[in-house]
Amino acid sequence: MSPTVEAERPPAAADAVIDVRGVVTRFGTQTVHDGLDLQVRRGELVALIGGSGSGKSVLLREILGLQRPDAGTVRLLGTDMWNAPEAELAATRRRFGMMFQEGALFSSLDVAGNVATPLREHTDTPAHLLPRLVNLRLTLAGLSAEVGAKMPAQLSGGMKKRAALARALALEPEVLFLDEPTSGLDPITARAFDQLLAFLNRDLGLTVLMVTHDLDTLLSIAQRIVVLGGGKVLADGTAAEVMAVQDPWIESYFASRRTVPHAADPGREAQADGA
Amino acid sequence: MADAQRSCWIDEHDGQVVLHLGGAWRLSGLSELSRQLCGPGAPLQAVASHAVPTAVDGSQLTAIDTAAALLLLDTLAEAGGDPQALTLRHFDARHERIVEVVRGRFAGTAVQRRRRPLPLLGQLGKATADLGALLLGHVEFFGRTLFELAQVAVRPTRLRVHELFAQLGQVGVNAIPVVALVTFLIGVVMAYMLGLQAEKYGANIFVVDGVALGMTREFSPLIVATIMAGRSGAAFTAQLGTMKLTEEIDAIRTLGLSAPQVLVVPRVLALVLTLPLLVFVGNVAGLAGAMLMSDLTLDITPATFMERLHVALAPRHYLIGLGKSPVFALFIAIIGCRMGLSVSRDTRSIGINTTSTVVQGIVAVILLDAIFAVIFQELNL
Repeated sequence: MSPTVEAERPPAAADAVIDVRGVVTRFGTQTVHDGLDLQVRRGELVALIGGSGSGKSVLLREILGLQRPDAGTVRLLGTDMWNAPEAELAATRRRFGMMFQEGALFSSLDVAGNVATPLREHTDTPAHLLPRLVNLRLTLAGLSAEVGAKMPAQLSGGMKKRAALARALALEPEVLFLDEPTSGLDPITARAFDQLLAFLNRDLGLTVLMVTHDLDTLLSIAQRIVVLGGGKVLADGTAAEVMAVQDPWIESYFASRRTVPHAADPGREAQADGA
Repeated sequence: MADAQRSCWIDEHDGQVVLHLGGAWRLSGLSELSRQLCGPGAPLQAVASHAVPTAVDGSQLTAIDTAAALLLLDTLAEAGGDPQALTLRHFDARHERIVEVVRGRFAGTAVQRRRRPLPLLGQLGKATADLGALLLGHVEFFGRTLFELAQVAVRPTRLRVHELFAQLGQVGVNAIPVVALVTFLIGVVMAYMLGLQAEKYGANIFVVDGVALGMTREFSPLIVATIMAGRSGAAFTAQLGTMKLTEEIDAIRTLGLSAPQVLVVPRVLALVLTLPLLVFVGNVAGLAGAMLMSDLTLDITPATFMERLHVALAPRHYLIGLGKSPVFALFIAIIGCRMGLSVSRDTRSIGINTTSTVVQGIVAVILLDAIFAVIFQELNL
């Protein structure tokens, strides 16, 4: 058994937006999750890390209701994602946003059309306000309004991610899920994306859960890091707490950063800011 | 309705017009909020005659999100106010932050005018130019493929034998059941329809002449080629298009291989080699269908049918039918491959190009068949 730092977690936090209990996932003979527990409280910005095949993305898909776990319960915003009636699920789906790794923009619609789709389907936004609201989403995601007229195929990788974020933000979600938000981005764009997420979390009060491998993201904006390994939560806490855990994978993971000479540690600045 | 449930009202403090907000201002209630804010009898309507609110009071507000904040600022701006000069009073800190976030971006949300669609004549011109460019591209691709084929002919070791056999299996062997079924049924229908006419004149036996000639010279090549245009042409486009999107084709190029030789030549060869064989299958199945129908409805026994077939069907008809098919195959394969390789960067264009391949393939086959008909007419064949 690996030691963990999940000592004094409240038994069933009333404000848990995401509540995963005893989740078991198997692919054939391979067990990916073996009785996994995870709680995320309202307003937190949590990063999920773990080695390849540790089931980060699978866990995300199980929370979103895209893939059924073999056992255990998944509650998102109070809804049991695998047993609730369809009407309740439909209502819950409007309360979270998901940004897929490759954006998953609808290629037949321009960017504005992509962002407008959930608004048209699920709200009765007055017609005169819709284009303006779409533009607000684009600017919240750090794009200018002109990008709305472009087709997804015309966008660079970073812009695609921002457009996907704008679509995920369309319905004023309470929870935002992101799968590898900064993968494939250059460091400058990636850091700007980090700041964008921190802003959404801080100023709009969004709860954020993301799967990431980006150490800079972890150290600069993540308030809590959850490490998956061996089918369970290996460590859970702030960057400093997680780094202190004695585990070969965690140690080599963070060591990969310490090998960069003179690398500034934005984590310290962020902690100072947050205090 | 009680005051507590109103979401906005107006009063004046110290000569300043203040808009009060109450309740929950959320995206889900946006149209109702819009109605209350600026609909008939709404506070802004009543006040528009003298002054636009210059301050907003949020003390009664229970919730606000960015969409509702945008509605508020947009409505005030429409009424002639300046959102940037607006004073926020008694807002909860979280609510105020959201309104400030939206206010900071308000100018950036201004709606640009959309590009107007081309007028009808412009669209016609663009469509014509696009078609011209498409056909010109086909000609170029056709030339390039012939060049690659010639290179393979000169140096046969360059042929990707493994890929060729994989394609022969997919394009040829796997297509036999559907080709046989369709042509068999066409044979049945032809014999039946011709039989209805021939019976009137007691000329039952001439049904064999009609079916044999029609099937082997026209119907079998045409129908089999049409099936293959839908089946293999579409498959080529989808395969190559997906490979293009996943950058496999770029990978082939950077490894120093020639994409046309690795991908296009085996496909073109496979279709050119198999289509005549499939037409042969179609001929046999079609004649078998006709034979069955003649036996059942026209009292022509299979033995009589075969005997008449030998007399009625000159080999040249049969050979003309077979001979047309490699030409059909060449066009179908080249259209399919070229449309696949010209897929642009998104998944949607795979669908568009695949549709286009099937349409172009079928049109090309029928057009070629018509040209052949004229040529053979002139040659008295």
